[in-house]
Amino acid sequence: MQLFAIGVGGSGAKCLEALTHLHACGLLKDTNGNPVRLGTFLVEPDQESTLLTRAETAIERYSKMHASLNKKTTTFARGELRHYGTWSPLSSSSGAIRLDQIFSRPVLRTQAAGLASLFDCLFPPEEQSADLVVGFRGRPPIGAAVMSRVSLASEAQTGQWQQLLGDVKAATGGGETTIIHLFGSVFGGTGAAGVPTLGQMLKNWLRDEKLLSVRVNASLLLPYFDFEGQGEEDTGVHAEARNFQLNTDAALQHLCARGQSCFDHVYLIGSDIKARYGFSIGGRSQENAAHLVELLAALGARHGLQPAAETGYAYVISRAKQNQITWTDIPDNEVVGVGLARGARFAVAWLNNFSLELDRAQTMPMLKFLSGAPWSRQFFQPNGQDNEFQGGRPSIRNVDELNLKAAIDAYSETLLQWFYQLSANTGSGFSQEIFSPDLLRRNSSHENDLAMVVRGSARPTRDSHSDTVESIKVRIDDLPKEQLTSRGVAGLADTLWDQAY
Amino acid sequence: MRNTQYIWLGISVMCGILWVFLGQSWLFLNIFPGLLVGPGLNLEEYLQTGSSPSFTILWFSCLVALFIWLYVTTTSRPRNGDEVRQMQPRWWLAATLLVVLGWLYQLLFTVFIWQVRGQSPTNVSGMNYFPIPPAGWLLLMVFVIIDVILLFWLPTLLASPKTFRLVVPGAVRLMGGR
Repeated sequence: MQLFAIGVGGSGAKCLEALTHLHACGLLKDTNGNPVRLGTFLVEPDQESTLLTRAETAIERYSKMHASLNKKTTTFARGELRHYGTWSPLSSSSGAIRLDQIFSRPVLRTQAAGLASLFDCLFPPEEQSADLVVGFRGRPPIGAAVMSRVSLASEAQTGQWQQLLGDVKAATGGGETTIIHLFGSVFGGTGAAGVPTLGQMLKNWLRDEKLLSVRVNASLLLPYFDFEGQGEEDTGVHAEARNFQLNTDAALQHLCARGQSCFDHVYLIGSDIKARYGFSIGGRSQENAAHLVELLAALGARHGLQPAAETGYAYVISRAKQNQITWTDIPDNEVVGVGLARGARFAVAWLNNFSLELDRAQTMPMLKFLSGAPWSRQFFQPNGQDNEFQGGRPSIRNVDELNLKAAIDAYSETLLQWFYQLSANTGSGFSQEIFSPDLLRRNSSHENDLAMVVRGSARPTRDSHSDTVESIKVRIDDLPKEQLTSRGVAGLADTLWDQAY
Repeated sequence: MRNTQYIWLGISVMCGILWVFLGQSWLFLNIFPGLLVGPGLNLEEYLQTGSSPSFTILWFSCLVALFIWLYVTTTSRPRNGDEVRQMQPRWWLAATLLVVLGWLYQLLFTVFIWQVRGQSPTNVSGMNYFPIPPAGWLLLMVFVIIDVILLFWLPTLLASPKTFRLVVPGAVRLMGGR
């Protein structure tokens, strides 16, 4: 099964970040329990966006780790991921970065005076002259105007769209179940304009290509955050929280009227209790932390992996308690809870303990290291010689092993940061019983206690006194050889992944 | 502790008891009597009143040290290998103390206790100590070391729990490569 995920705008990029982490936690599987092949694609005019960079970082780090593992693991990071890159709707506008450049006013005036007047009527001068390299400035009409000029048929001839749509065709032609899932907010600019437009374009393209078995779903984010402040006078046209509801109403009306021609299923997720982000026009200053709503949006894509017989068009979700979210509010929480809990506990145990131990091993003879770390003999050869394999065990100083460790470190740090933001960024008056944010930080204190990393029903039932990294090390040391599927850093990570929950 | 470790612990403690209370005395009586007997010394009497009590106390000291070691290693929650390795100098300290104590016990029951009492353990007047020749002293000192190896090193090697499994000297070479 192949899942092609397209994140549109900043919130869409954050949803792809969440989806990547779900994939890493082994939560995107087909009906046979095999990991799906995930393709990611980002649509964002604001190429400097921090949110875009963050999503790209998560995707890139996961991809690098997955490639470095080279299929040596049985459960850890098994899911394939291909990133098709980031595409800007402005890229097809021949360098134009303002609306009055994209729709050339002098040309309009001379060739279609009526259209020029309509253009002036629809877009006030400040919107016409707004610099769009920071995005569509929270104004869906600007985005819709730009996006409507895009021709998917011509885009499919070159670049990232060609690769993406080519793979959609190939997967469907090969008999694989193929799903395209779009993510974006309906209350901002880029997502509100881009998601329905792209959904419609994709549907038309699939119809033209006779790829009718491909499902197109979307997770649409309703307002879930506010801005702390507002833009200054010289900020120009910018997103305003007071417009969020208006934009949402318009988008939902559009969805009611024409939604079925854009998407097979939609997942509508928002929050009445808003997270507070500092105001930003876009670009590098936009540092909105990850939010639970984005996780729920990504879980929409997971729900979409179910067989097509699933009825219903629009899915919504609610929580049991007004001011709190718990695991029971998460869809399919028994499976999702274990997957996310395993991911969080792995990231804490790896980054704050095992990785530091491997660093320490570089500073002393292997026999000395082994005297304090008996678990390491399962994966690394005990005599510590460089570039020498013994019983399939590489040296703990082998360069390839250290490169793999660096790749796992990098991704785990991204994952841990995401878990931290997810659990710390709930908005005032709202709490979560899912993770303990304070324990989801990277530190060099060799964190040992794992009992409180996960809260609520997804917490392992193990006695909290023995829920430590040390007990994992003991269990790893006790494992019979036959249960170890691989050696080296890959074997260690794979075994830790199994033992982390 | 693993089940096998409990079994090894039991076996090594039993072996220690057999060694201290039977094997060692048999060796003194049958293999090394020539080294131990000095002028006027009744070997059987010395073994009963001098050697045996001192080795019994050494055995008890080793047993106490062993259980303290097992208690400390079982209850501690080391965060990393460095904290585990910190137990190695402590093990050496305990082993060294046991050896020194073992020698002191020999001195105590062979010499000091008689001097304090003002009695002679032999029939030779004025000799209020067991007259062990220098080679005998050397033999006793070597046996103290052997006892500490059998009564402390071996059980801690075989039964140190959890991540302390390889921290005892020699454990990595003997048990780490499997």
